[in-house]
Amino acid sequence: MPVAIVTLPPVLRERADNQTRLNVEGATVREIIEELERRFPGIRFNLCYETGELRPYVNIFIEKENIRYLQGLDTPVYAGAHIRVLPSVAGG
Amino acid sequence: MVQQKRYSPGTVVLAVGTKRGLFLLTSQDRVHWTVEPTALNGNKIFYAVFDPRADYRLFATDNGDFFGTFLRYSDDFGQTWQEPRQGIQFPEKSGLKLQNIWYVEPGRPDEPNVVYVGTDPACLWTSKDNGETWEPNAGLLEHPTREQWGPGAGGLCLHSIVADPSNSDRMWVGISAVGCLRTDDGGKSWKFVNKNTRADFQPERYPEFGQCIHRLLQHPTQPDILYQQNHCGVYKSLNAGDDWIDVRGPLPSDFGFPLALDPHHPETFYVVVEEGMGRHNFGGQFTVYRTQNAGEEWEQLTHGLPSGPNVRLGVLRHGMCTDKQDPCGVYVGTNTGQLFASNDRGENWQLIADYLPSIYSVSAISL
Repeated sequence: MPVAIVTLPPVLRERADNQTRLNVEGATVREIIEELERRFPGIRFNLCYETGELRPYVNIFIEKENIRYLQGLDTPVYAGAHIRVLPSVAGG
Repeated sequence: MVQQKRYSPGTVVLAVGTKRGLFLLTSQDRVHWTVEPTALNGNKIFYAVFDPRADYRLFATDNGDFFGTFLRYSDDFGQTWQEPRQGIQFPEKSGLKLQNIWYVEPGRPDEPNVVYVGTDPACLWTSKDNGETWEPNAGLLEHPTREQWGPGAGGLCLHSIVADPSNSDRMWVGISAVGCLRTDDGGKSWKFVNKNTRADFQPERYPEFGQCIHRLLQHPTQPDILYQQNHCGVYKSLNAGDDWIDVRGPLPSDFGFPLALDPHHPETFYVVVEEGMGRHNFGGQFTVYRTQNAGEEWEQLTHGLPSGPNVRLGVLRHGMCTDKQDPCGVYVGTNTGQLFASNDRGENWQLIADYLPSIYSVSAISL
């Protein structure tokens, strides 16, 4: 199972024991999120709705590619990939 | 270790939910007030309320713009916050996605561990363990007309909850653009109780449902009497909602959001009706309106409230409340960040906080 390096935004670090960067195992982004949820219960709801889809103002990048323009949560993850979770530049 | 914050007995504490965080205002004399931020900073706090039955546990609805919506609670007056063990999340099979948590209502005096919450999408949630775990009400989730419910401008929000203290099987809820519903069987089933309330924006003026109720409260001593501020009027019911009486009278508008009662003079209640298009006070004078005879007559309360050509203040549905002291205090927070207070039932007012973010809600408790 590939291990990716996941960087969380500051607002989510408290839920992840104040860690910024995590090594997380998963073959797809969806599996990465499930592994994060297993380790830090509640974090999936920060990222996804109850129906499983990604929240509209949450962006997940693999390297520089936004998964919304790849295969979404089913985007494959390769070993050593850098995955960044970032809020959209939005709001008011 | 954070020292647990406490206040001395007799302190009045206001919980002010805003667009950018939760604030507490405290006073020993309801004249001099201290404004304090809490650790809930930055998110939209639609509503916050203390539960005196649970050693003043403070519940707050934390509606994040990006990373989800959570009910949180604090046992140290807002210094630290916890999440429920099993929070408010719709069952996956429902197909619903939590948008916002609108309202928290501590349960009846004889159900000390029970707390209720209202959400968008509209649902009533119940906790029986002081907010640690939550269940959605199936009777509303599976209401036979639910597919015909459409959202109001603020969403399909369940914003008012009345748990009848005289009857544990009876409750009412208010849902924007749906109306008022009542259960007589402990929440298993719900019927619409909207008779004689108008929906001027619908082809049928008096539909069974679809009215836009803005706020619903119960008479403190006569449980069959209810009051509501609606998009299209101010109403009272003398028969548990079976029908409603229009009590707008000479008020300058049907339209308004908040409603508050004087607990020691139950025929007294307050509204802040607004100019319907701009949703602000009429003619440059910010005004709270009071009736002392359940809507037979109305008074304009303005002493100490601002006036001028630039005064255009609006108050949202949870932006007004009263305390339980006698004479009661009345508190009004505007969507431009001003908080006004009266310690004499509305006769006189003072500005007790300014420059707050847009105020969504005010609730009051006396320790």
